[in-house]
Amino acid sequence: MKYAFYPGCVAKGGCPELYSAACKVAEKLDIELEEMSDVACTGAGCMPTQLSDPINARTFAKAEQMGLPIMTICSTCQGVFSQANHRLQDAEYREEINREYLAEEGLSYQGTTEVKHMLWVLFEDYGIEKLKALIERPLNGLRVSPFYGCFLRRPGNIMVPTKDVGARRGYLEDLTQILGAENVDISGKTKCCGFPILTANEEASLGMVAKHAGESSQKGADCMVTPCPLCHLNLDGNQPRAEGQTGEKIDLPIIHLPQLVGLALGFNTDEMQLGRHIVSTKAVNDKVDMLT
Amino acid sequence: MPQYDVLVIGGGASGLRAAIAAKRAGASVAVLSKVHPLRTNSALSPGGLNAPLGNDDSAEKFAQDIRNAGDGLCDTEAVNILAADAAREVVWLERVGVPFNRNAEGRIDCRPLGSSSVSRAAYADDRTGHMVLHVLHEQFQREDIPCFAERFVTSLIQDGGVCTGAVALGHRSGQLETFGAGAVILATGGATQLYRPCTSAVGTTGDGLMLAHDLGVGLVDLEMVQFHPTVYSAARTALISEAALGAGAKLVNAAGDKLVNAGGLSRAQLAAEVHKAGQNGGGPVSLDLRPVDNLASRFPAAAEVVRLMAGIDITKDPVPVQPVAHRPMGGIEANAAGETSVAGLYAVGECAHNGLNGAGRLPGNTLTEAVVFGRRVGEAAAAHAKSAGAADAGGSQAAQDGERLAEITSGGTSGDTIGAVHRELGELMNANLGVSRTDAGLAEAQDKIRALRERHAALRVNNKSRIYNYALAGYIELGNLLKLAEATALAARGRAESRGAHLRSDHPEKDDSNWKAHTVVRSQDGSPKLDTRAVSA
Amino acid sequence: MEVTYKVHRKDPENGGESSYSTYQVELPEDATVLDGLQKIRDEQDDTLAFRASCCQGSCGECAVRINYKAQFTCTTRIGDVTKKAPEILLDPVRNIPVIKDLVFDMDRFTWNKMAAMKPWMEPDDEFAPTENLVPESEMADVRKTMSCHACSLCDEGCAVLPVNFDFLGPAAMVKGYRFVMDPRETGAKMEARMKVVEQPQGLWDCVHCYEADGKCPRGLTPSSKIMEIRDVAFKEGIKHEKVGRHHASFINSVKQTGWLDERKLVMETEGMTNVTGLMKLLPTAVRALRRGKMPGRHEKRPGADQIKRILEKAEDSK
Ligand SMILES: Cc1cc2nc3c(=O)[nH]c(=O)nc-3n(C[C@H](O)[C@H](O)[C@H](O)COP(=O)(O)OP(=O)(O)OC[C@H]3O[C@@H](n4cnc5c(N)ncnc54)[C@H](O)[C@@H]3O)c2cc1C
Ligand code: SF4
Ligand code: SF4
Ligand code: SF4
Ligand code: FES
Repeated sequence: MKYAFYPGCVAKGGCPELYSAACKVAEKLDIELEEMSDVACTGAGCMPTQLSDPINARTFAKAEQMGLPIMTICSTCQGVFSQANHRLQDAEYREEINREYLAEEGLSYQGTTEVKHMLWVLFEDYGIEKLKALIERPLNGLRVSPFYGCFLRRPGNIMVPTKDVGARRGYLEDLTQILGAENVDISGKTKCCGFPILTANEEASLGMVAKHAGESSQKGADCMVTPCPLCHLNLDGNQPRAEGQTGEKIDLPIIHLPQLVGLALGFNTDEMQLGRHIVSTKAVNDKVDMLT
Repeated sequence: MPQYDVLVIGGGASGLRAAIAAKRAGASVAVLSKVHPLRTNSALSPGGLNAPLGNDDSAEKFAQDIRNAGDGLCDTEAVNILAADAAREVVWLERVGVPFNRNAEGRIDCRPLGSSSVSRAAYADDRTGHMVLHVLHEQFQREDIPCFAERFVTSLIQDGGVCTGAVALGHRSGQLETFGAGAVILATGGATQLYRPCTSAVGTTGDGLMLAHDLGVGLVDLEMVQFHPTVYSAARTALISEAALGAGAKLVNAAGDKLVNAGGLSRAQLAAEVHKAGQNGGGPVSLDLRPVDNLASRFPAAAEVVRLMAGIDITKDPVPVQPVAHRPMGGIEANAAGETSVAGLYAVGECAHNGLNGAGRLPGNTLTEAVVFGRRVGEAAAAHAKSAGAADAGGSQAAQDGERLAEITSGGTSGDTIGAVHRELGELMNANLGVSRTDAGLAEAQDKIRALRERHAALRVNNKSRIYNYALAGYIELGNLLKLAEATALAARGRAESRGAHLRSDHPEKDDSNWKAHTVVRSQDGSPKLDTRAVSA
Repeated sequence: MEVTYKVHRKDPENGGESSYSTYQVELPEDATVLDGLQKIRDEQDDTLAFRASCCQGSCGECAVRINYKAQFTCTTRIGDVTKKAPEILLDPVRNIPVIKDLVFDMDRFTWNKMAAMKPWMEPDDEFAPTENLVPESEMADVRKTMSCHACSLCDEGCAVLPVNFDFLGPAAMVKGYRFVMDPRETGAKMEARMKVVEQPQGLWDCVHCYEADGKCPRGLTPSSKIMEIRDVAFKEGIKHEKVGRHHASFINSVKQTGWLDERKLVMETEGMTNVTGLMKLLPTAVRALRRGKMPGRHEKRPGADQIKRILEKAEDSK
C-alpha cells in the first residue's frame, strides 16, 4: 500500500506536528509514503482557478507518472484538489492545460490520478478491521468532538459524489468511536471554522471559533479532532483571542486527526507532539496517560 | 403625516412602472403594497409580453390582433397607444436589464402566443413576469422611491370630489397610517380570488376596485373574466404558459386524441373547447408537453410548478388541465391616461379598465399593458399633482377606519368562518359565472351571493391585535370580493348575448345591435346599478 | 388524516417571549403545510401570523423551518413531513429577528442586504431605439440566476450569518453575480460593480464553505456562484485592500518558492506599514514562538521554476 504523499504547506510550516504524526502513523500501519517535494501549493482557494488548475494538473501528472494515488492530510488541499480534478475530467479542458502549460516540461495529465484524504484512505483503502487490530490503547473515556470543517464535505457532488462513498459523511464520528473514544456531537461539526475570512473579517472569524469550540467545551468534551490543519490553526491558534472577544473561557485542545489515531496506536503524547499546540492539551495528556 | 405628490397603491409591474415614471417626471413618489413588490402576482406570469419587434410585424398588425381578440369591445385610443408604445417599452426593459431570450442575431426573440397573427411575445424562458418585475424593482430602487410594503390600504380619502390620499393599516406597526397625496394611482391588480380554483396569489381580491367603487367610480365590463385554458387544478393549481402550445405541446382528450388545433383560437374559444371536452364525459383533457424540443430548458417554470404542485414530471407524462379563472378584463373605469371620474384618482394595470382589452385579452398583453400604461399614467399623475398642489388629507378617515376595524374585531364567531364563506363564494362563481352561464344560474348566484354577504356581515374576528392580523385583512378582502361578486353577477346577467369571454348558453349569439357596449356598474345609495356605455371608436 | 401542528409563537404586544402552540388539524393526505396553517387560522386560532402569497412555490414569501429544515410551506406536503416525524414543527427561519409567530424581519434579513448590492443597471444608452445585441449563449446563465426569487433559504443555511449578522449573505451575492456576469455591463461599470460586490461584509466575508449550494429551491448553487465572482475579482484585480495584499502575497510566495511562506503572508497581508494591524498579530506570534509553532525557514522547492513559469503564463492569458 503506497501513496504519493502531499502534506501541504501548513503541515510543513505552521503545524509540523501534523506532518510528523502522519508519517509516524503511516509507518506503524505499514502505509508507504513517497513525499511529493517538487510540486506546488494547491492554491488553497486564494488563487483563481485559472492559475491553480494548471499547477494542480502538474501535481496530478507527476503522481500519474509515479503510478500512485495521492494522499493528503489537509481538508483544504483535498477540497481544492478534488474540485480541480473534477474540472480536469473534461478532456478538452485537460488537453488545453497539457498543451499550454505542461508540455514544456514534458508532462501530460491523463485524468487518472486519485486523490484521497488520509481519513478516506483509512476507511476506503486500508480497512477499519485492520486498523482495529492494531489499536494498542483504546481511548476509553476520552470525550472527543469531531469537527469536519467545510471541504471534506462540500460541494457534495464532488466530495461525496456517489452512494458508495455516502458513509464519508460519518467517517470522523465512526473513527472516534473505533479508537475507543466517546463522540461528543456539536451542531456546527460540518460548518466552517472561520479561517478563510481571518483577513477580511477577523471578528466574525473569531466568532466562529468561539461558537464551535465553546459548544464542544460546554458539552464536556476533552478535545476536538479535525482533519484540517487550517481549522486547527484557527480553532487552536486563535482560541485565546476568541476567548478575549467573548470574555468566556473555552480551553479546548484541538487535535489533528493523525494525532488521535497515533495515540490509540500506542504513541505517547510527546511522540505526537501535543506540546506544540497553543491551547494546552494537559487534560488530554492526563487522560491518555492514565490509559497506560 | 407623510405627503407625496404621487401615491401609488400596488407594487406589481404596473405600480412600479408608474412610480418610476412619476419620479422621473419630477414628482415625489411613494408606493404602498399589501405584500413586498417581489411577492406580487406579476411574478407569476410565464408567457411573455407582446411587442411588434419582428420584421414581419407592425403596430397596425398588433392593433388588429388586439381588436380581434377584444371582440368588438375595444376602445380605439387605448389599443393604438399600446400598439404604438409596446416596442419602445420592451426595448427599454431590455436596456435596463431584462434578460430576454435571443434569436440567432442576438436580438430579442419573439415567440407565438395565443391567437396573435405573428410571433410577437418577447420572453425570458417561461419566467417573463418574474424577470420584468425584478428588473422594474431594480429600477425602482435606483430611483430611491420609498416603498411602504405590508401596508393594507383600507380607504381612499376624498375631499370635495378630489382624492387626496389613502389610509393604510401597517401590518408591522399595527397602526393606521394616513398618506396625503396630490394624486393617487390604483395599481392593485385583479380580483381572481372571486373564483375557486383560480390562478392568482392570495391577495388578488379586488380591493382597488372596491376602493374606487366606494368613491362612486364605475366598474366596467366586470362580466368579462378570462379563463386560462391550460391549468393543472386539483387541490392546488399550476398554470402552464400557453406558449407551450405554440412550441408544439398538444391538448389531448382522455382517449389520447388531439383535441383542437390551438392556432388561431382565442383564449376564450380554447377555454370553451377544453371545458366542453371535459364536460361531455370525455374525461379530463391533458396537455402533453413531450413534443416540445428542449422542454426542460425552455419551460423551466412549468416543469418546476407542475412538479411541485402536481407531482408530475412534464418531460415524462401529460398533465391533466382545465380552464381556470385567470384574469378579469373588466375593472375601474379609466381613460388611457388612467384618469377616473374622481379628480386626482388614477387606475392602471389589471385593476383598471381603459378600453384596451375589450371582451377578450390577447395573451401576452397584460405585462405590456402594465408597463406601457404604467409609464403613461405615472407621468399623467405627476403632471396632475404639480398643477393641483398639495391638499390636506386630514385625519378623520383614519379615525373612521379605526372604528370599523374595532367593530370587525369585536369578538369571535362560532360555527361560520371567513374561509368557509370564501370557499362557497369561489365555488359558486366557478359554477354559475364560469366558462358558460345562463340567466337562471346568474339569478341563483345573485341570491346566493346576497346570503353570503349576510353571513359575512355577521362574522367577527377574534384577534384584536393590529399586528400581522391576517384574519382582519382577510375579512376586509372577503367583503370586497362579495361586493364585487354582486356587481359582476349583475353585469353578467344584463349582458344577454355571447361575446368574448362571456358565454351565455341561453343567448349563444353575439348581439351587436344591443350589446356592442360596455357594462358599467356604479354604486347608488349603497347598492350596485347597471348602466351601459358606448364603445369609443 | 389528523395532523399535529406545533407552531412557534411570539406576541410582540405581550412580552414577546417565545413559546409553542399545538393544534390538531384534519387534512387530506396531499395537503400542503400551508393548507394546514390556513385552516388553523380560519377555524381554530385567528391570532396565528404567517406569510404566504402565490401558494405555488414561485414568490418566495412563505419560507419557514419545517421540522428544523428551512422550506416553503406552500410546496411541502404534510405527508412528506409526517412520514419522518409525528408532528409538524414550525419555526421562523434562523439567524433573524422574529416579529410575530412565524413572521420575521424580512427587511433586515433580505431586502436591505440585496439593496446593498446596488442592484440596478444605469446604462448610458438607456433610451436607445433598439435592444443590445447579445448572443443567447451569454444571456442564458444570467437569466437562470435571475430566477432567484429572494426567498433567502440560502441565507438560512449560511455559515457566517450566525456569527456575523451583518454579512450580506449568499442571496445578496447571487444578486451581485447576476450583474457581474451580465454581458451588458462592461468597462467602468464593471469596475464599479466589483467595488460594490467586494464591499466590507460582501464577497470576501464569505468563508466559501459551500453550505448554500444545496439550499436553493431553484438550484442556483449560491456558494459556487460566489466562488465564480471571486475568480472574476482575481482577474479584474482585487478591490478589497487587505484581501488584495493577502492574495498577491500568496501568489508571489508560491511563484518564488513553489509553496507558501506563512510568515511573509501574514506580514504582507497586514501591510508592512500597518502598525496597528501588525501589533494585533503580536500576541499570536509570541504564543506560537513559545510553542515552537512559528513556521521555520522557508526554502525554495525543487520544481519551483517550473511552477513560476506556469503561473506567469496563466496570469498572462487573462
Ligand atoms: C399565474 C399567472 C400567469 C400569468 N401569465 C401571464 C402571461 O403569460 N402574460 C401576461 O402578459 N400576463 C400574465 N398574467 C397576468 C399578469 O401577471 C398580471 O395581470 C399583471 O402582472 C398584473 O400586474 P399589476 O401590477 O396590475 O397587479 P399585481 O401584480 O397583481 O399587483 C397588485 C399590487 O397591489 C397591491 N394591493 C392590492 N390590494 C391592496 C391593498 N388593499 N392595499 C395595498 N396594496 C394592495 C398588491 O399587494 C400588489 O402589490 C398572469 C397572471 C397569473 C396570476
Ligand atoms: S492548501 Fe494549504 S496546506 Fe494545502 S498546499 Fe496550499 S496552503 Fe498549503
Ligand atoms: S459559501 Fe459563503 S455565503 Fe455561502 S454559505 Fe458559506 S459562507 Fe455563507
Ligand atoms: S439564491 Fe436560491 S435560495 Fe437564495 S434567495 Fe435566491 S432563490 Fe432563494
Ligand atoms: S407562497 Fe409563494 S413561494 Fe410559497
